[in-house]
Amino acid sequence: MSTPRNPIELVDRYLQAVRFWLPKSLRQEDVIAELGEDLRSQIEEKEAELGHPLDATEVSAILKRCGSPMIVAARLGPKQHLIGPTLFPIYLFVLKMVLLWILVPVFIFIIGPVNVAKAGGDWGTALAGTLGDLWSGLFVAAGTITLVFAVIERTHAHASIADKWDPLKLPPVRKQERKTPLMHTACEIFFGFFGLIWLLLLPHYSGLILGPARTFLRIGPIWHTFYVPILLLAIAGLLRSGITLARPQWAWFPRVAELLQAVLSLILLNFMINSALPPAGADWHPFVVLADAAKNSAQYIRVAAIVNASILVSLAAAWLGVCIAVAIQTWQLLGFIRNRTSGAGQPASLHVQ
Amino acid sequence: MYHTVYVTSYMSTSTTTNAEIFENLKLELRRGCLTLAVLTQLRAERYGYTLRKALAEDGLEIDEGTLYPLLRRLESQGLLVSQWREEDKRNKRFYRLSPQGEQILNQLLDEWQRIHTSLSKILQGA
Repeated sequence: MSTPRNPIELVDRYLQAVRFWLPKSLRQEDVIAELGEDLRSQIEEKEAELGHPLDATEVSAILKRCGSPMIVAARLGPKQHLIGPTLFPIYLFVLKMVLLWILVPVFIFIIGPVNVAKAGGDWGTALAGTLGDLWSGLFVAAGTITLVFAVIERTHAHASIADKWDPLKLPPVRKQERKTPLMHTACEIFFGFFGLIWLLLLPHYSGLILGPARTFLRIGPIWHTFYVPILLLAIAGLLRSGITLARPQWAWFPRVAELLQAVLSLILLNFMINSALPPAGADWHPFVVLADAAKNSAQYIRVAAIVNASILVSLAAAWLGVCIAVAIQTWQLLGFIRNRTSGAGQPASLHVQ
Repeated sequence: MYHTVYVTSYMSTSTTTNAEIFENLKLELRRGCLTLAVLTQLRAERYGYTLRKALAEDGLEIDEGTLYPLLRRLESQGLLVSQWREEDKRNKRFYRLSPQGEQILNQLLDEWQRIHTSLSKILQGA
């Protein structure tokens, strides 16, 4: 970059650089003319003070003090943000909900298994494909959500959000010593009931679990051993939810019953895994077997092997999950007992005495 | 409310030094005072540079990047009026308080007096 003969030309270069960074919508020429006038006044005053015209270094010092063109343009221009403070909390909430609680589970429980099936049991390829899809899915989802919120921000569609709230409609203060929420228990009963119906129908309609694969797969004999304990556990869960709903004042009950149910589930899972994998030398008890008509098909044998392996892995994962749940529930129960005995954990009042 | 919490949380997790914290708080403290000072100074007509000089002479330095956006905002709110005019063979934009600006300034000065009195009491008690 050449040093200009006329140092004042530096000011024009500077203003040109500032103009580049200013948004076009702003009254650019107005802003630039005003800034230019200010800088020329500073130079004029400095010249009067020193008694000679400023050289390039002295002009440069004045411009340097003013700040880099990009920063000056940012200060002179309107304050810009993609999503403002009013919408930001909602944006963050939606982003978390979609990415963590919808997209990731969909990939783990639906797209992942589909990719495994497509890859014909090649776990490495399936995992790489799923991670790649997940990565691009996260980007697309985050980008779309950001774009939608940016549009709402620009169109001022949120302008009334801040006013449209009613103190009377705020949710009641949650008690510290929390009883199991009504909605949670009602959902448990609802899904528990349909789960029980499903379990009761299962011996008669294997298609409920095997789907279209029932043409070449059958439920393995191992399930006959564990069907009744599973059924009893489901009934116990339904009863637990019913009692929790009927006796909300029994704060101890859901904690104790959930822990007990989790321990029983753990024992059952342990038995199932051990039964499926007997000691070395003994026969392995598959969860699904091939129908007579499909016993000689190499493709169906491979599919049956993948399904059996998937069920075993799922049971192992469930075992691990229940172990963690037992640890957490035990900890929570101990905390509950401690609070009960010490009298702590009473709801905190917000009232000023 | 949420925005404030967010900013605070961000600052506490970053490597913010005491000097930076002080600078940020000083900026917050100065922001309202600058508006008051600018409106007061513009009871008499001035252009940007002479306004900056007048403020600096009274001990309130303000850079170009802060003053000009502030002037534009106050003008868009109807508190100032401006006019481009030639002076010393150069075009300059002169600002002065509008009648509405005069009213608002008087209200702000009353408020400032109240805050000043309260703060003095608080500081004396501290």
